[in-house]
Amino acid sequence: MEAQSESSTEEIKHLRRCINDLLSILTLPATWTGGTAPRIVGNLLDALVRMLSLDFVYAHLKDPTGGSPAEMVRIRPAWEGNPQPEEIGKRLRAWLENHPDKVSPPVRISFDERDIALVLLPLGLHGDMGIIVAGSERLDFPQQTERLVLHVAANQAAIGLQESRLLSEERRNSSDLKQRVAQRTMELATINDELNKAHAQIIQSEERWRSVFENSAIGVALTDLNGRFIAANPVYQKMLGYTEEELRQLSFLDITVEEHRNLNWALIEELLEGKRRQFQIEKQYRRKNGSTAWVRNSVSVVPGTERVPRFIMALSEDMTEQHEAKGALDKARSDLAQVARISTLNALTASIAHELNQPLSGVITNAGTCTRMLAADPPNVEGARETARRTIRDGNRASEVVTRLRALFTKKETATESVDLNDATREVIALSSGELERNRVIVRTDLAGDLPLVTGDRVQLQQVILNLLRNASDAMSTIDDRPRELVIKTERNESDGVRLSVKDTGVGIDPQIEARLFEAFHTTKDGGMGIGLFVSRSIMERHQGRLWAIRNQGLGATFILAIPCSTNT
Amino acid sequence: MDAAPGQAHYSVMKSLDGRGSIHRALVAVVDDDESVRESLPDLLGEFGFDSKVFQSAEEFLVSDSFAKTRCLMLDIAMPGMTGFELQQELKARGQNIPIIFITAQKEEAVRKRALERGAVGFLLKPFSDTALLGALNTALGLR
Repeated sequence: MEAQSESSTEEIKHLRRCINDLLSILTLPATWTGGTAPRIVGNLLDALVRMLSLDFVYAHLKDPTGGSPAEMVRIRPAWEGNPQPEEIGKRLRAWLENHPDKVSPPVRISFDERDIALVLLPLGLHGDMGIIVAGSERLDFPQQTERLVLHVAANQAAIGLQESRLLSEERRNSSDLKQRVAQRTMELATINDELNKAHAQIIQSEERWRSVFENSAIGVALTDLNGRFIAANPVYQKMLGYTEEELRQLSFLDITVEEHRNLNWALIEELLEGKRRQFQIEKQYRRKNGSTAWVRNSVSVVPGTERVPRFIMALSEDMTEQHEAKGALDKARSDLAQVARISTLNALTASIAHELNQPLSGVITNAGTCTRMLAADPPNVEGARETARRTIRDGNRASEVVTRLRALFTKKETATESVDLNDATREVIALSSGELERNRVIVRTDLAGDLPLVTGDRVQLQQVILNLLRNASDAMSTIDDRPRELVIKTERNESDGVRLSVKDTGVGIDPQIEARLFEAFHTTKDGGMGIGLFVSRSIMERHQGRLWAIRNQGLGATFILAIPCSTNT
Repeated sequence: MDAAPGQAHYSVMKSLDGRGSIHRALVAVVDDDESVRESLPDLLGEFGFDSKVFQSAEEFLVSDSFAKTRCLMLDIAMPGMTGFELQQELKARGQNIPIIFITAQKEEAVRKRALERGAVGFLLKPFSDTALLGALNTALGLR
């Protein structure tokens, strides 16, 4: 009974120790949280060696990711002969490879002449996580309690490993994800950066072009292919008195004056058909307030892009002031020409009166003499015949003057005809000979025999010649130390035209006024208006000719006019 | 044109008013207009005057005739010395020859100026023979 009691007491102790061991084993996983597989298994092996008085315990762990397996060995520190863990591992590995069934009942192997009992503890279902091998030289190994503890431990290990695997997989996944997220984030950041840069460039470019558009000194308008406004800059808006919003309701044809629309649209069509790349047009717009504006437009088609369809661009320059100035200038010129015509006419009239009165004086005096001679007693028939002859002669002279006048004045205002400049010159000389003679001017002529005809207004050309003769005469009015000589010369010039020059021995051209010689209202004469040369030059320009002055080698000046020949001569 | 200035002496012994006169009064004509110089002496001759023609004021001044001249028919607008200038010059020399201006200048101002300066007559070209005779008679104090 005592012995039985004693054995019972031993049994109880043994079982209590077993329970303690099991409790220890069961508490181990609490320390494994977050641990790696080698740490978990290592921890477990340490506990097993310590509590079960095993000689060694070995673990072979498969790598779930397919890598090389891990091996661990724990040896009882006091084991006789102290075999190296490597030796044990090597031996067991070989044995395990030859016993793939991993039979679960205890087996015995001999190792270094030791007889060792082994307990094989597969980890996980069919040992797919690895295996733990516990070994002992004890003959009673494994006891039932030891087997229980080892199985519980193996189960705990499997659970721990499973958790660890899941965790590590999770970690790996998580880290993988993090990495991918980081990489993607970086890529996105780069893309974002590039986008920002591109955007900034676009904004900068847009701002720059917008600024060009807004601040351009000339008007800029963009329209669609039907001419409807898309945009117009401030200069353009101001020029026409419309806001951009109002213009968008209109086509540029709506604000173009009627008479310019057809031409304008024809040019646009050629543009759209690709017949021309751009065109210029000077035309009138109708402003919002009804007044008109002259503009010079440079129009082109801007090619479309993926996003923007092609459109029409017009650069528009306000020419209203220039046109008004030109109109005013034209009017002033025409007024001046009128004044000049009248003053020339007055001079001509005086000249004509003088020309006509000379022969008429002769006619009347001779006729009076004739009458008296015939009335005498006896009548002086011979004298009467002579005076009658003179009367007829002077009458004819008067008639010639009238014929010349008719040639001068029956012309239309701006007749264009073939003019023999020699004839025209002779007539002018004849008409002004009285005046020239009074001014003691000696006139010499040097008229070319084969002078081609020119095209123009005979009266206007004669006005120019007359003006040159009078100027020459005036320039010599104060000359007393030399002959007052005037040479009128006509000749063909090199470039197939005709030249007429009037050369005098007068005071010449003052260098100080040379540049202003042909300006309107510039005069050196007391009674002059200063429009003669200005008008003369305008007349020559209207005849595609020129008029200029040079200083003579000697004294005086020469005025030269050049005019193209008629094409049909 | 075909009559030379020197041909102007016209000495037909004949009296217009029937009184007969050997001493015919000398009328000088100064005019740059040739037709006047040609035609006027004949008419003056018909009226019973002697005449001499000059084509410029300067020519008249240098001639020996002006002392004998009883009447001067003078153009106004001439190259060189004008009719007015000659009038001035004669006055300056103390020569009081009656002057009849003959001119184509129709302006009233010219006429006024001429008469103010002491001209006895002012004839506008072309003038009639009776107008001429009237002016001459006035100038010579014949009526």
